[in-house]
Amino acid sequence: MKDNEAFEVLGEIKRMMEKSSRFQAVSGISIIVVGIYACIASVVTGYLLGLNDWLPFLPKVDEIRLNTPSRIRWAVLLAVALFLLSFLTVTLMSYLKAKRHHLRFVVDKRMLQMAFNFLLPLGIGALLCIALIIQGHYGLTSSIMLLFYGLALVNCQHYTYPALRFLGYGEIVLGLIDCFSIHHGLLFWFLGFGVFHILFGILYSLKYDRIK
Amino acid sequence: MITDLNGFNKAFESKARLGIMSILMANESADFNTLKSLLELTDGNLAGHTRNLEELGYIQSEKRFIGRKPNTSFSVTEKGREAFTAHVAALASFLKNNA
Repeated sequence: MKDNEAFEVLGEIKRMMEKSSRFQAVSGISIIVVGIYACIASVVTGYLLGLNDWLPFLPKVDEIRLNTPSRIRWAVLLAVALFLLSFLTVTLMSYLKAKRHHLRFVVDKRMLQMAFNFLLPLGIGALLCIALIIQGHYGLTSSIMLLFYGLALVNCQHYTYPALRFLGYGEIVLGLIDCFSIHHGLLFWFLGFGVFHILFGILYSLKYDRIK
Repeated sequence: MITDLNGFNKAFESKARLGIMSILMANESADFNTLKSLLELTDGNLAGHTRNLEELGYIQSEKRFIGRKPNTSFSVTEKGREAFTAHVAALASFLKNNA
């Protein structure tokens, strides 16, 4: 056996171990699509709540409709719908990617562990948001969503590409800045869930979507 | 355990058997179809390699039914773990000595 042969064999072992134990099917394009959904949703929410001066290029209306319970209810419904749509999009597109590249996509113990590790922080954050909204504290909603989503991403880094944690760190930093600033919640939400997803999705699909 | 002068295990010379061992070392267990799709092997080919490794006592299989479908899942034995670790160590020291 020659040197480079031994080196290749070790590389092959490492590659097979990672391919079998990490969930590599997450599709980069789906991350971009989710970012686009989030951009659209935050613009719609802005109009819904009458907050249409948060992005400079949007046309303005004069009416202030903040803190009307029925409008908040619509915003919450929109958020839930957005979550479900994003979840379905990522799952479906990842399934297609897995099929294309012969990657692992079966509901097994490891996938359930990953789902649990992702959904635990996310679920707690969602309940906290709902509790605060019921009690009439709307101010921290966007930063809590960003923080817990970031924690959820960091929490499942061992089950998929470790690079996903960088998106998580980004969301956490943005969420922390958001905590301390007032009246810019929707702008931070737009940046975190929209722009960050689109940028990260582009980098991610360049690096990982073309793997053999 | 048959090893050559460098300490390489003959059983792991084939890419398929090396792949099976790598997957089972990194996971508690893996079933036949998971191995098949990860290694991109045919049924008969994979069955031959798993039988081979099982006869050496490196892996063990467990047959059961999921609904009506038979399902075979494999896991690595203590003997297999030792043999594989020794093989990887031999590869690493070979690289070191020839550097």
